Amino acid sequence: MIKVRDILKSYGNGESRFQVLKGVSLDIEDNDFVVILGASGSGKSTFLNVISGLERPDSGKVFYDGKDITALSDNEVTLFRKANVGFIFQQYYLLPNMNVDKNVKMGADLADNKDYKTVIEAVGLGEKLHKYPSELSGGEQQRVSIARALAKRPRILFLDEPTGALDEETGRQVLDYICKLQKEYDFTIILVTHNLNIAEMANTVIKMNSGKISEIYTNETKKTAYEIGW
Amino acid sequence: MIVGIKNASKLIVISIIACCAVLVCTMFLNFYFDVRLIESEITSELSMVFYNAQVSTAKVVCFVSGGCLLLTAVVMLLFYIKHYIDTHKKELGILKALGYSNIKIAKSFWAFGISTFIGTAIGYAGAFFIMPWFYELQNEDKMLPEITLNFHPSILFYFVVLPTVCFSALSVYYAWYKLKKPVLLLLKDNLQVVSKPPKHRTEKNRELSFIEDLKRSTLKSKKTLVFFIVFASFCFSAMTQMSFSMKDLSSEMMGVMMLVIGLVLAFTTLFLAITTVINGNTKTIAMMRVFGYSQKECCRAILGGYRPLSYIGFIIGTVYQYGLLRLMVDIVFKDMESVPAYKFDVSVMPISLIAFIAIYEILMYIYSEKIKKISIKEIMIE
Ligand SMILES: Nc1ncnc2c1ncn2[C@@H]1O[C@H](COP(=O)(O)OP(=O)(O)OP(=O)(O)O)[C@@H](O)[C@H]1O
Ligand SMILES: [Mg+2]
Repeated sequence: MIKVRDILKSYGNGESRFQVLKGVSLDIEDNDFVVILGASGSGKSTFLNVISGLERPDSGKVFYDGKDITALSDNEVTLFRKANVGFIFQQYYLLPNMNVDKNVKMGADLADNKDYKTVIEAVGLGEKLHKYPSELSGGEQQRVSIARALAKRPRILFLDEPTGALDEETGRQVLDYICKLQKEYDFTIILVTHNLNIAEMANTVIKMNSGKISEIYTNETKKTAYEIGW
Repeated sequence: MIVGIKNASKLIVISIIACCAVLVCTMFLNFYFDVRLIESEITSELSMVFYNAQVSTAKVVCFVSGGCLLLTAVVMLLFYIKHYIDTHKKELGILKALGYSNIKIAKSFWAFGISTFIGTAIGYAGAFFIMPWFYELQNEDKMLPEITLNFHPSILFYFVVLPTVCFSALSVYYAWYKLKKPVLLLLKDNLQVVSKPPKHRTEKNRELSFIEDLKRSTLKSKKTLVFFIVFASFCFSAMTQMSFSMKDLSSEMMGVMMLVIGLVLAFTTLFLAITTVINGNTKTIAMMRVFGYSQKECCRAILGGYRPLSYIGFIIGTVYQYGLLRLMVDIVFKDMESVPAYKFDVSVMPISLIAFIAIYEILMYIYSEKIKKISIKEIMIE
């Protein structure tokens, strides 16, 4: 269970100081599928970075099962990330000089996961083990980054606009893989997007507006990627 | 022009190298020419002997320090230019895609000539600044008639004009050669790995951890950097050790000069190489940090592979300086009665090695702090 309390975060100082997060509090249940919606610049990515331990808030706390990660040292936060979280970004950020197998191994090694090849197969890339990122399509690259994140067996998966660079059909495929794998491996999903359709796939939807949560609701019935039809 | 102001600052490296090489070479060559001019004025036998010794020393230094420095500088400049253009091929590709002609883009690379010119000109001027004092020192005992400082246009031509023209032409040519490739290849991130068939790996290789794998692929992906690192340690090793031997073979001042120049060359190269390694791997490091790899692991993967190479460079440098001095002593002092004894200086090597290790590790530490600061925010803004 993740508890977020009164997060404040600003950038710059003096005249150019800009308050990005203005007091955000939130509870997230284990194995939930949370979508964070909001306009561009509303602070979604910043919020994601803060609760995943990539950035420190100016004030406020983030508890994972009662443990406050904002109180940890840099090395401890790194260890926390190593043990608990996976990331997927819009830009994929695969390692260009390494093939699919090695890219996924980057995640797998952190959890000492010897049998990471099943994850590569689960995202449908079993045939492309030895391809380099530059030889893959955008959708395939994003699937590699999913495999990389899941190979480290995270408890929480953070996704920042995972389908932002993909066309509708490919985006749907990618989301479908993520949902399928959540059932298989059990982890919490926290996904940031400004695509309203994707919100229908989630259990919990959080709307952000200029640095604050403006609305939280729960979907009665979760739709699959194919049912949302965007 | 592609080589903008921001990039131009990186070209300072070229100026520094060119400056060092030209400074030393001009000084000794000019002295050599001038000392030859007074041969006819020598009357006494004793002066003649001293004169011969002076000419021989000037020759040794010209060959050993000047020649080796000049060669070093040329090699480094070639690699630097190649590397610079290779890493800017994306810009080349974009301009090409926009419809600029190959020649028009390539021409902008003449700026390398400017930095060479700045360097060589400063080196040349600097040499004339030091020379009066240097001449004085060489003839301290007044054994020889007054050696007058003359201006030799040929030196100006060979050390300033020629390098400027050559390096300009070469850069333009290399950029043009690169530009002949299709636009897409220029724009792609890593064309060197594309279409390489998967290698047959032994079972043992497959067991490598990700860190080890990354270490290897970092080394493999930029071979020029491997050269740079080996070269930097080679320079350090050869120049520092040679400078101690020079002290006995010619004069103290030359020893000091070699030392300073060796250090400058080694530092610039090492700095350049490691900065390039880190900048080229910012994304990788940021991603590793995001996933929870520690700072130590990132360092090991990205920089660790270069350590053995730098030791290899050091060994090559040691052997090289010994061989070179041996050769020079044998050839140049062949006809002289009092051949200075030259032996491998066993005590200097460990000192030089320890200094090298200390400097290398300090640099690594500084860079590991730099790695620590790399965050995902940085690469997201791009
Ligand atoms: N490092 C930074 N320095 C200064 N300002 C920043 C920094 N990072 C983010 N901001 C500002 O914070 C605000 C929120 O940024 P954030 O990236 O969280 O928005 P977002 O909701 O993710 O937007 P998008 O949907 O476009 O990705 C923006 O106005 C941005 O300019
Ligand atoms: Mg964002």
